[in-house]
Order: sequence, then C-alpha cells, then structure tokens
Amino acid sequence: MTKEQEGALSGYRVLDLTDSKGAYCTKLLADLGADVIKIERPEGDPGRGIPPFIDDVPHPEKSLYFLHRNANKRGITLKLDIPAGRSILKKLVKTADVLVENSPPDYMAGLDLGYSVLSKINPALIIASITEFGHSGPYKDRKGSNLVDFAMSGIMITSGYPGKEPCLLPGSPAYDAASVHASVSIVAAIYMRGTTGQGQYIDTSVHVTSRMGLYPWIVPNYSYALNPEGPPPTSETRMGASIYPVYPCKDGFIRVIALTPRQWDALVRVLGNPEVLSTPEWRDFMFRIGNADDLYALMLEFTEKYTMLELFEAGRREGVPIAPILDIADFYNSPHTKARKFFVEVEHPVAGKADYPGPPYKWTETPAVIKRPAPCLGEHNEEVYCQEMGFSKYDLAALRGGGVL
Amino acid sequence: MLPLENVKILSFGTGGVVPDAGKIFGELGADVIKIESKDNLDFMRTIGPDINNIGQFNEANRSKRSFGVSLKTEKGKEIVGQLVKIADILVENFRGGVMKSLGFDYENVRRLNPQIIYVSSQGFGGGGPYSEYQAYGPMLSAASGVLSIWAQPDDPYPVGSNSPYPDHMASKHVVIAAIAALDHRRRTGKGQFIDMAQTEVAASLAGEYYLDYTFNRRITKPMGNRSPYAAPHGCYACKGTDEWCAIAVFSDEEWKSFCDAIGNPDWTKDSKFADLLGRLKNVDQLDKKVGEWTATLDAHVVMETLQAVGVAAGEVQRAPDTLADPQLKWDGAIVELDHPVSGKRLYPGVPFRMSATPPLKSTPAPLLGQHTEEICRDLLKISDKEIKRLLDEDVLHNPESAKGAGGGMFG
Repeated sequence: MTKEQEGALSGYRVLDLTDSKGAYCTKLLADLGADVIKIERPEGDPGRGIPPFIDDVPHPEKSLYFLHRNANKRGITLKLDIPAGRSILKKLVKTADVLVENSPPDYMAGLDLGYSVLSKINPALIIASITEFGHSGPYKDRKGSNLVDFAMSGIMITSGYPGKEPCLLPGSPAYDAASVHASVSIVAAIYMRGTTGQGQYIDTSVHVTSRMGLYPWIVPNYSYALNPEGPPPTSETRMGASIYPVYPCKDGFIRVIALTPRQWDALVRVLGNPEVLSTPEWRDFMFRIGNADDLYALMLEFTEKYTMLELFEAGRREGVPIAPILDIADFYNSPHTKARKFFVEVEHPVAGKADYPGPPYKWTETPAVIKRPAPCLGEHNEEVYCQEMGFSKYDLAALRGGGVL
Repeated sequence: MLPLENVKILSFGTGGVVPDAGKIFGELGADVIKIESKDNLDFMRTIGPDINNIGQFNEANRSKRSFGVSLKTEKGKEIVGQLVKIADILVENFRGGVMKSLGFDYENVRRLNPQIIYVSSQGFGGGGPYSEYQAYGPMLSAASGVLSIWAQPDDPYPVGSNSPYPDHMASKHVVIAAIAALDHRRRTGKGQFIDMAQTEVAASLAGEYYLDYTFNRRITKPMGNRSPYAAPHGCYACKGTDEWCAIAVFSDEEWKSFCDAIGNPDWTKDSKFADLLGRLKNVDQLDKKVGEWTATLDAHVVMETLQAVGVAAGEVQRAPDTLADPQLKWDGAIVELDHPVSGKRLYPGVPFRMSATPPLKSTPAPLLGQHTEEICRDLLKISDKEIKRLLDEDVLHNPESAKGAGGGMFG
C-alpha cells in the first residue's frame, strides 16, 4: 500500500484566527501540509466579502479572493468574545502547534487569550501576531488599509506612470508582506522548538514588514547617496518607464532590462543593428535614462516589427533580458506555465470546479499541492468538534443554538 | 539560542532573491556562506564603481560570509565540493542550467551530500521551455501577468515600479521552504530538492485575478487605486512637488468622520456623496473635490487630520519620511551598521520579534572574499601555506586579490 505523500509541515496543527491580513501566512503553511484550522466568527471572515465574485454575485462561498487564500484549510466557526467560545479555543490550543492572529492590539489579551494565558495551557505553542502598526507605539491605534499600508511601505512612490498618481499593486501586497514574514518566523520557531521543546511569541506588523517584502532598498539607497560633501540624494519617484522601459510590439508590449553595455549591444542586435541605435553614447546607461523620451521615440520603429514572443526569444539568444507583458490569460495559457502544471483543478461544493494557482514550488520528497478547496463557513464543525474533540451532536446543536458556533 | 544556530547554508546567489533569503537565514542564526568569484561577479556588485560599496548589494548581502573562489578551476570546484559536504542547505538563483554546467546541480550535489536541502529559485522555474531564460524581478512581474494590471486604467501602458518586485517576496518563500524542509529532515532524515518559479510567486500573490479568468473567463484590466467597495480610495496630491497622501474611506460612518475632519465644506453635503453607492457612482467628481482639499496641505497634515478621526490615511513615503516615521523609530525598524568600506549606513532591521531568542540582528555585508581564509582554516582544515598558494594561483580570492574586479558601472 502506498501512502499518500505528505507535505513538509504535515503533522503540525495551526489555529488560524486571521482575516485578510494573515490569510496568505496560513495559506503558505497549509500548502506545505500543515493542518490549518481556520476559525471564523459565526457570521464569517470579512474576507468572504472581498470581490471579485464568481459571476459577480456576492456570496460568502464565491469570493475569489477568499477561495484562493483559504484553499487547503479546514474551517470551523467559534465566537471568541463569550466564555463558552473561549473555553473551546483553550481546548483546541492543547492540540495545536501554532496559533496565528491579526486582531487589534490588546484584543486577545483582553479576552484572556493572550500568550501568557495560552502558553500555560500549552508551553510548546507558537503564537504569531500580526497587527497593522504594532502592539505599542505612537501609531498603534491607527487605521490602516491595503492601500494606505502600501503607500507607507516606500514602494508606492516608485509605482506608476511618470508624472501621474502613484499606483497600487493589485492584490493585498502590504498584508501579504506581513504574512510572508509571519510565516518565516513561524517555521523558524517550529524548527527551534525541535531543539528546545518550547514555544514562543512572535510579534510583527504590516507597517514594519511591508517595506521588507516590497522594497527594502529605499532607506539604504538614500543612506548610501548621503555624503557630507555631496549634493542631497535625488528624490525617489516613478522611474519604472525609464529604468526598465516598455515598448510596443506587434501584438502587445515588452519590457526590456538593458543595464550593462553588453546587454544594450545585445538589444541592438535583437532589433537588427539599426544605425540610429548604434552610436556609442547610447551604450551608456545614464545617458539612456537622461534621454529616455528620445530613445523611446527611436525604439518604436524597430520593436513594432516583432511579436512579444519573438523579442523574448531573440533577447535570450543575444543576451538581453526581454519580457513579454502578458495578461492574466496569457500567463495561464503559457506553455511554460502548462509544462510546470502550476494551475491545478480544485472542486468546491458551492463554487464549483476551476483551475487555481498552485504553490509556487515543486518539492521532490514532500509535495506542495492543493488537497482541498477553501472551507465553506463552518464546514468542519462536526469533524473537528465531534469526531476530534469528542463533543456530541447534541452539544454541537446546543453550541450552535447558543450562538457559540 | 537563535533559531538556525548550527545550520550551515551555501548561497550561490546573485541579484535580489537568494541574497535576500541568505540575509534572513543569517539573521536567524545560520552560518551563511556566499560563494562568489571575482571573474563572475554577483551582478549587484557591478552596479557602481566599487564592488564593495553598493547600497543594494550591501543591504541584501548582510549577515553572511563571503567565500571567494574561482569556479572556472577544477581545484576551486573541489574546494566548493568540500563545503557542499558539510552544508545543510544549498540555495541558488543562477540562470537555469548554470549550476549544472558548474557541476553543482542537485543530482551531483546529492552524491556528495545525500541529506542536503537544495532550493533553486529561478525566474520561470525548471521543467518548461523558459527554464533557462535569464530573468530579473521587473521581467517577472511582466511575464507573470501582474504588471498588466499594475497601472491606472488610462495609462498608455503599464510600467509598474522601478523596484525589483517580486524579488523580495520570492526570497521569503525561499526561506519558508528551506526551513520547512529542514524541519522535515530533522523528523525524517530526508533531504530534498525544491524548484521555485518566481513568476509563480507573483501570480500566487494575486491569485484572485487568475481565478477571475478561470471562473469568469474575464481578463482583469488595470484598476489603479480605485476600489470596487470604497470611496474616496486613492492617492491625492498634496502641497509640494510629487507629494501624496493615500486615503481609504470604506463605511458611511467613516465618510461622516472624513467630512467632519475637513470642516464639512458645502460640497460634502451634496446628497450624491451621502452613501457608498453614490460616492462610487460619482467617484470622479468626488476625487476631484478631495484633491482640492489635499492640495492645500502637507501630506503629513492630511494623514494626521484623518487618522485623528479614525479614517485610514497614510503619506506616500520616501526615505526621509521613513526615517522620520515615529512608529518605525519606536520599533527600531531602521538600524545603522558600520561596513568596512561603506562606513556607517542605514538599513532596515529584522521586522519581527521572537520572544525566545535574543534580539535578531544583522551584520554588515562581506567584502568579496572577506572570509575565504577563515573558512578554509576552520571548516576545511586547509593549511596556511596551501591557502596562500591557492590565493596566489587565483583559485581563491580574498579582498586584496579581488581588488580591481568589476571595473565600474555595470562593467
């Protein structure tokens, strides 16, 4: 009999009290095989209300944001701000290795569910807390949002078309930056626990992690340009179009990464050695930045002769990185994406069947795969509360009726 | 103790992803050894006139040791092979196929060290037609589809950012994968190979838009800063040049607070702005009005005024704003490190705290070959005489023998 191959984190149980700030954190753990139990309030995670929806119909089981970020997790409901709910959580904590939460500062402690309480119940428990601005400090009670946190991360001033309004990166980038850092520290704490046997408390915020996940170079760039005798550093602004220029081609746009003289020479070869591009001053990166508009006007004539993929391949042949600007469908349909089997079909009892992005890596010993769709609200109440924790069906009905689940 | 104490990591890294991952491993207590050659430099060492004095390189390459070795020589390869034998983890992000040509692909490395954990992070990942394409972050945001929606609806074409996104998100995935694999090895004794695609990281972080295609057959178009369920929701130009404040108003209650905060001018009393649907329907007009208010004020004042009444608002930060940010100061989020060539410079610190470890800190980036001799002596037990010979023969590099490498901007 062959045993189904398990993920690298199989055997670990994660209690997931997060909403959209931490959903990607627990998704990463679930994709690696941890038993992630998403604990939602009885009315559901607000993430179930984030568009887009299937067929544009708002429905708690049809948010595409929620479906993607909660695949591979089980789901139960539990009301934490009443004593009955808290005592059930404490029972669950005995069985858990990790708890992740992203409630406001002092909220968990106020419910008597802080680290000092839960670590007495289970000293090996690892708790990771994600707040918007921190548990203490001058901004701790401020309101953040996906857009506002992105603005404060340092990357936004560099994002968007030159001269226009700085532009948000789609998705929930600042929250996901917090999520990946929480996940890094959680796996580190799990590994450390293998030696010490002890759990610990991990504290992180969207505000400190966002720049680390999106653009950690903003401060060092400035610091390195700051010299007592020199002029003040030039201000960051939206340079995407001049440093990594975008050119139209026959069927779309390409982005060109020609930084070194060698890469520039290769680009000129890709475009058929046009004379106007062969003058030596164009080989200088800073000259190209300084004359980006003129260069753009010259380049068009040549890039428009080719398709995105012709230029992509010619760039590889000659030695200059050129990327096609694919749309979402192009990426899905790309032969490389297909060859790697990145998208996998997942069937959800309400949402139906469709291809989902899989985990972004292939593992030889412990496959990272999507084994189950995102949970329906309370889908695993019976499985967890009755089959695993020993509550009877009558208990379950009572807890449900009493508003605990 | 530190979480990764006694863990040895070999980093064949260039650019952003693997160097940044190595920095985090180092901050978590691992001994991270960067294998580098003066005749084939990490390209980040070439974006300025001095290979040892580049801000981005010195940020991403903190907390590791540099082992300078020529991988063009058989002897150099043999020495690296000795390091492979004693490593727990090998991470690499060279162009697909390069590690194989050097003789250090997983199949070969596993023969030297069956229990090793080997993480490859390429732009497009292995096993497909683009596996050996050279790739940088800004290419991958393009090739993953994400760049196509990172724009305002009326932009002539999407340009995204001059940051190397998704490099610094991919690097964290490398760390998570490697440590999870290490823990699995602790429990089972088994090493393994992990093949990551950075395009897939970018796609995974925007998964809902791919599902919009697979469920709804809709190809998402750029939305800029607008939200389908909040208004005002955008960046508004403030006093000064290129100064902006992001504002996000979700509920009608927040809208009421917003109006109070700006002094309830007449236009806010217009009934078409009274509820969310009205604000969304009249969003162009609304944004214009909000912009007229912000244009008269410093971005910081806009932020403070709105935060005071519980409305989400944040200045679009540049480095000086980050350095002045009182919360980041409170958290000690920016640290000063003294680098032997660059001197005292500012870097972001470790952005999380772990209660069972001492405070996590980084050490300055190494000079090329800075630790070659000590690694030879302490880990490989090579005699001083032999080390000197290998340095003389240019099999090994130390900072002295690496002098003059690079040769200027993008050389």
